[in-house]
Amino acid sequence: MVCHVPYHFLPISARFFHPARPIFPKVFFMEATAHPLDRPRTVAVRRPIFTHALPYLLIAPTFFLVFIFTLWPAIRTVYDSFFIFFPGRNPRPPEFVGLQNYADLFDQSHPIVSDFVQILTNTLIFTVGTVIFSIPIALLLALLLNRRIRGLGIWRFATFYPALLPAVGAASFWAFLYGNQLGLINTILTSFGLQGQNWTGDPDLVLGAITVQNIWKQAGYYMIFYLAGLQSIPRDIYEAADLDGAGYFQQLRYLTLPLLRRTTLFLLVVAFTFGFQTVEQLEALRGGLTNQRGNLLLYYIFQRRTDPRNWGYLNAMTVILAGLVLIFTVANFVFFERREDERG
Amino acid sequence: MVNTRRNGWSVAADAMAIGLALLWLAPLIFGLLMSFRPQAAPISSGNIFFGCQSDLSDQQQALIDEREAGRSITFAGCTVTRSNYDAAWSLTNGQWPRFFLNSLIFVVGTLAVQVVTVTMAAYAFARMRFFGRNVLLFALLLQLMVPTGLLIIQNFATIRRFGLLDTHWALMLPYWGSAFGVLLLRQTFRQVPYELEEAARIDGANLAQVLTNVYMPLSVPAYIAFALVSISSHWNEVLWPLIVTRTDTARTLTVGLSLLYENSDTGANYGLIMAGTILVVAPLVGMFMLFQRRFIESFASSGIK
Repeated sequence: MVCHVPYHFLPISARFFHPARPIFPKVFFMEATAHPLDRPRTVAVRRPIFTHALPYLLIAPTFFLVFIFTLWPAIRTVYDSFFIFFPGRNPRPPEFVGLQNYADLFDQSHPIVSDFVQILTNTLIFTVGTVIFSIPIALLLALLLNRRIRGLGIWRFATFYPALLPAVGAASFWAFLYGNQLGLINTILTSFGLQGQNWTGDPDLVLGAITVQNIWKQAGYYMIFYLAGLQSIPRDIYEAADLDGAGYFQQLRYLTLPLLRRTTLFLLVVAFTFGFQTVEQLEALRGGLTNQRGNLLLYYIFQRRTDPRNWGYLNAMTVILAGLVLIFTVANFVFFERREDERG
Repeated sequence: MVNTRRNGWSVAADAMAIGLALLWLAPLIFGLLMSFRPQAAPISSGNIFFGCQSDLSDQQQALIDEREAGRSITFAGCTVTRSNYDAAWSLTNGQWPRFFLNSLIFVVGTLAVQVVTVTMAAYAFARMRFFGRNVLLFALLLQLMVPTGLLIIQNFATIRRFGLLDTHWALMLPYWGSAFGVLLLRQTFRQVPYELEEAARIDGANLAQVLTNVYMPLSVPAYIAFALVSISSHWNEVLWPLIVTRTDTARTLTVGLSLLYENSDTGANYGLIMAGTILVVAPLVGMFMLFQRRFIESFASSGIK
């Protein structure tokens, strides 16, 4: 059909069939609301396709990569966790089992994943233990190192440098400290006539040893954020408090801590997210892996990756791990936002 | 909070600060000392510093003199040796320079591509209006909530399907798209005055010229922050390189360090392990010392490792 009505005289719905229609009509891609930066156009220009597609082309590489390596694998993880896989000599197609994989994880007599409950408990203790000690220590360090001391740069470096080390490198310093026979801590203990401990070999001590090592590694990193937070608090608030006769600890309780609440929330979210992922120290502190009392979830997944029969279980474990990260993140937000509302 | 009055409290706080800092520094110091000790002079009570011979027998001393000849210096009864570094170097068939190069390729290659992808996406999200902008931005930000590091199993399968195992591409690919970088630069780009872009456009600049001549120079601090965070986190990456590398072609320094644990069946040869560790951490700690102030500001402003 040849249409003689000019394009702009047609209602928008009819323009689609007009032979002079631009291939990508503006209405498909642009938002209806006017942008303050848009200038009124005096001349009707038929813009090339490229202009409409440009923003999509600009974000395409990032979006594609994030999709391939984060979004799609996340969806696949959930999907695969509902299947049992039968690879091997005569492979069978995967069988849908619903939530059976998750149930198996919590079955302590299961032949493959009987350790899971132990590992999950370890991971929770390790992460919560790291967070509840490293954040107060970070605050203490920040308060102490936000003062005038001779050689301030050195002392700040001394507490911050563990954050720069690879987790496996940081842990190998501690492998030497924790060593059973020739380790430093035991050498010092015996020189005082005390009994040395097998820090990373004893099932009751290994988790604590790994947690202490991680507290040491993270505290200086979190201190940086508290330092930045402290330095953004205006000085005159403290001068006013001084005039009112408030002592140091009153100022700390009623001024500093409330003003650092945002920093604390941020650090809690970051610390929990990192805590669940920090497992590389186990490469160096292997003592705890003997009976799984010191193993952590991500490392457990990593160790079992080579056997394809575990595929369904590994994905179920990953879902649980990601779920934990999300729960702790959301819980922190809910808890802190609610407190903020109460205060008005 | 800065208390200018010197009183008992402030002296106590100074002492506590220095005490804690020394406590934090102790593992590094003892690791360094250990890496220079002769292997034949194990630490024992009263002898935790250099291999001072106070409690060594003549036989042990003879052994040290024999093994460490030409690699050590002895003064005031203490032996300082470099044999641990030699041993760590040769333990992985002299592959350390290769591991170092691989780490460098991984870090630089990741950062170089990230800068390009992130700049483009950040500009689109900061200054362009298009259908579905907020939905797409939210989809990207999911990466911050479900970290790529958790998805090692599926990503390993993807890399294997692409046939990229044991290559540098396998190391870098998952990190090329950075939601964190997009977010950081989007915030920065929004603070660049639009009039500057307009002026450049009137002068006939195209998009690439606007980005390289207006936005990027004005956002240098944000790029430095992003670079430092990206470099330090990828230099320290262990699990992912460990999974996707099988031979020395693409192994990084941190993988080499893990191998040191697997290959050294001597058990408690801490001197060797400390030497290997120090070889791995030295570049980044050195860089930190050069850019200390910058580093701290970057970490504080970015918040993601």
